[in-house]
Amino acid sequence: MGQLSSAAPASGTPGAPLAPGRVRALQRVGVLCGIAAGAWLGAAEVPTKLVTTGISPVLISFLMVAGVFLGRWSLPAIMRGTSGIRADIAEAPHLVIWAIIAGCLWSVANTLTIFAIRDLGLSVAFPLWNTNAIIGIVWGVLFFRELHHAGWRRWSAVCGGALVMFLGGMLLARASSSQIASHVASRGLAAALGAGVLWGTMYIPYRKAYLSGMNPLSFVSFFTIGELGMMTALALAYMGGPRSLYRQVTGAENVLFWLLAAGFVWVIGDIFQQYAVKYVGVSRGIPISNSNQLWGLLWGAVAFGEFRGWQHGAVAGAVWGSLLMALGLAAISFSVADNSEYLKWMEAAERERRRYGIDIEFVRSGMEGRASIPQQRRTWLDWLLVAVATGAFVWTGARAHWPAIALNGTSAIVLLLLCLLLLAACVAALWKVTRFN
Amino acid sequence: MDNEEAIDRPETQAINWLASVTGDVHFWVPTVVLIGGLLLLRWVS
Repeated sequence: MGQLSSAAPASGTPGAPLAPGRVRALQRVGVLCGIAAGAWLGAAEVPTKLVTTGISPVLISFLMVAGVFLGRWSLPAIMRGTSGIRADIAEAPHLVIWAIIAGCLWSVANTLTIFAIRDLGLSVAFPLWNTNAIIGIVWGVLFFRELHHAGWRRWSAVCGGALVMFLGGMLLARASSSQIASHVASRGLAAALGAGVLWGTMYIPYRKAYLSGMNPLSFVSFFTIGELGMMTALALAYMGGPRSLYRQVTGAENVLFWLLAAGFVWVIGDIFQQYAVKYVGVSRGIPISNSNQLWGLLWGAVAFGEFRGWQHGAVAGAVWGSLLMALGLAAISFSVADNSEYLKWMEAAERERRRYGIDIEFVRSGMEGRASIPQQRRTWLDWLLVAVATGAFVWTGARAHWPAIALNGTSAIVLLLLCLLLLAACVAALWKVTRFN
Repeated sequence: MDNEEAIDRPETQAINWLASVTGDVHFWVPTVVLIGGLLLLRWVS
């Protein structure tokens, strides 16, 4: 019986470890995906500022998840096709359960963050829920043999980097909180930290899926069923039933587009985060993608002018906090796993393969970023999904009005261009190295 | 037949994967956290 811990290279020679060059290439792609994830996840938080215009947090979360649902089916349909998704799931059907649990965790966490934003403000709540990286590292080490055989240098770089990023985040929070009028409510604090625990735990299903060889594009398609199902249940429970929910959705017609778009932008960031987790693990991928806090601060400071009227000390605190976060990000990014650590990942993958009886070639090719299933042709269902998503955005876009929030257009365009640049770089790298596997 | 071979047989896999899921600690940790999250949400809302 084949053992993944003595993984074969692309050529399929049993017993030979994965070529070091291939390991490095996959790690580089993973780090780049983590950085792009940070930019896009940060941009997706911007429309949550609508909570300040009086829209219910649950309604915002529900509409974002509706946008996420559209994105999570239409983007994979374009990039991979539903036939490819079906073929992947047939190889590891048990992962549907984990995808749905992960989706439920995401929905509850996302709703908690909106309550946290309402009570604490975006800049204070953000670093608190970014503790998810610490939770993710703990689960990664405990359950998936991450950082085993990594050596003290890599341990220090990853854990020290995550700690420095957390301290930087706290500094940003302190700088921000000194400038906002509202007091720190205990419920907001609990909501933000609770969201961190939920999101940190959500990485257990992520890592499990990728150690089993699953394609991220296939995993997110089922993830979103749990997401939309849980969010719909929450919206119905907290908003007084279907009639009340419908009334509030139609009442928010002017901002529907922005919230759906936020969900769509989140999907792009999340797909990159999934690839980051797949190729550099939870312990590296999540801290890197948590640089979304830096991007959130950038959007707040330059596009929404949140620094206007701040005292010099507070601005300096924000700058130092940002520098600390960037330093932590760099430490983790340069701490790539070597072959001995990679073999420990393979051992964790072997556990999954044996427990669930997954085909060895499926697991191996997934871990190596190769396709085990031939590229499938697009079907009418793929084009239907793309048409429905496009129709929803066009329909809501035609009715959208810019909410009563001041925005510096030039800064917003520059930030969007930076996001698009990272998107293009990531897509090119993923295509070149993994063909989106 | 040893246990390893039994796990590798496709028919055994099909029957056992649900039992494997519920017997996996990786399943219960997210499930417990999810229930905790729902209780927390009830409190903060």
